[in-house]
Amino acid sequence: MTEKTTTIKIKRQDKPGSPSYWQTFEVPDKPFANIISCLMDIQKTPTTEDGKTVNPVTWDCNCLEEVCGSCTMLINGQVRQACTALVDNLKKPIVLEPMSKFPVLRDLQVDRERMFDNLKKVKAWIEIDGSHDIGAGPIMPDQDRAKRYVMSECMTCGCCLEACPQFTQDNSFLGAATFNQVRLFNLHPSGEMKKEDRLDAIMGEGGITDCGNAQVCVEVCPKNIPLTESIADISRQTTWQMIKNLLIK
Amino acid sequence: MVKPSKDEIHYLLLKLHSLTGIVPIGAFLVIHICVNSLRTVGVWPYQLSIDAINSIPFLLVVEITFIYIPLLFHSVMGFYVASIAKTNTHRYRYPRNALYTLQRLSGAVVFVFLVYHLGTTVGPKLWEGKHHFEAAPFLIDIMNGEFKTWQGILIYAIGIVSATFHFSNGLWGFCVSWGILIGKSAQRNGAIVFAMIGLALTVLGLATVAEFNMNPLPAEATVVR
Repeated sequence: MTEKTTTIKIKRQDKPGSPSYWQTFEVPDKPFANIISCLMDIQKTPTTEDGKTVNPVTWDCNCLEEVCGSCTMLINGQVRQACTALVDNLKKPIVLEPMSKFPVLRDLQVDRERMFDNLKKVKAWIEIDGSHDIGAGPIMPDQDRAKRYVMSECMTCGCCLEACPQFTQDNSFLGAATFNQVRLFNLHPSGEMKKEDRLDAIMGEGGITDCGNAQVCVEVCPKNIPLTESIADISRQTTWQMIKNLLIK
Repeated sequence: MVKPSKDEIHYLLLKLHSLTGIVPIGAFLVIHICVNSLRTVGVWPYQLSIDAINSIPFLLVVEITFIYIPLLFHSVMGFYVASIAKTNTHRYRYPRNALYTLQRLSGAVVFVFLVYHLGTTVGPKLWEGKHHFEAAPFLIDIMNGEFKTWQGILIYAIGIVSATFHFSNGLWGFCVSWGILIGKSAQRNGAIVFAMIGLALTVLGLATVAEFNMNPLPAEATVVR
């Protein structure tokens, strides 16, 4: 048998809070394989390199085209989506780990609830419902629409938070993704009506001042969102808000 | 007056941490290095500058208010900021991430250096009670001694480079944290300008050290009553 294989080392964990351990699998080479297809092969024959049959490795995935963010994991130590990680382009042996900044549910699955809680904290939506007809909203200038389009591509994958030296499991830092949403909705002519609420929500512990400007977020963002520009813009907005709070309120 | 909440205090303290690094501490650093570089032109202009500074009325009060209190505040907040950082430069090798780690490291180095620097200059000056025109010859004598050995030169070289780096990189951080530099190219252009300012300060500082080492001229008090 001369079938060529790729070695994949996976950091596994059976349940939340239990200790993690490593297992190594040999996956037969296939043309254009990505990490998801390798994990599917492991699922078919969950046998480690030393011939032991184990529980199949679990992972999250959905869209398979880098727009949902659910297959985000550490591949060779770098955070990225497994669907667009092509085996041919990766250093061997391939090392897979779950994201380290979110609680692990099992194997490569993590719980990113914190990101969604943060969106609620900053009111990352536009309030258009009322008990009566509130009429049509203001018109958005086209350059704002173009700016907002890039920012709106965020898929809440958590790459920016995983790579952030200020974001840890035990602190309350909101992180780049959330700050980008604040800018996105503050730039919307109707969303602007809740601007002060959003700014107040990020002017405290875990807020915008906890950013250390390491700017790794923007480097690892798979959607190329100008996160550092959003952070600086939000910093300017909160600076004015601070002056307003100090001098007017 | 409404009592500020914990979150408001957190925001203001960190904003103030960023501001105190520029004014008054950064401003003092620029003045300190520029004035001291007069030593490279000769002992006489250098001594005149020390005389002028030591003739400021209520000098100690001015120093405590505009240098020591802001410096202590910036240091305490700085150690807090450094303590919450979980550096990952080894994993994510990007220039800005390296500067992030170096900013925290250089801050700690400058703090240790300042303890030494104050302990060998201002400390003895206050202890011996050297005021007005007596201060200059006393301090110049100390400085001549500081740069006699290579160890002394090394301590000051490390201290000066750390301080100028921490200041110029902090200037950039301030401009981003206060929302002055926003766009990608604005941030890059700002970084280039601040790097040049930092480099100029480093050259001035190291030139002063070199002059002291190569030309340790003693000085006498300008006016002896």
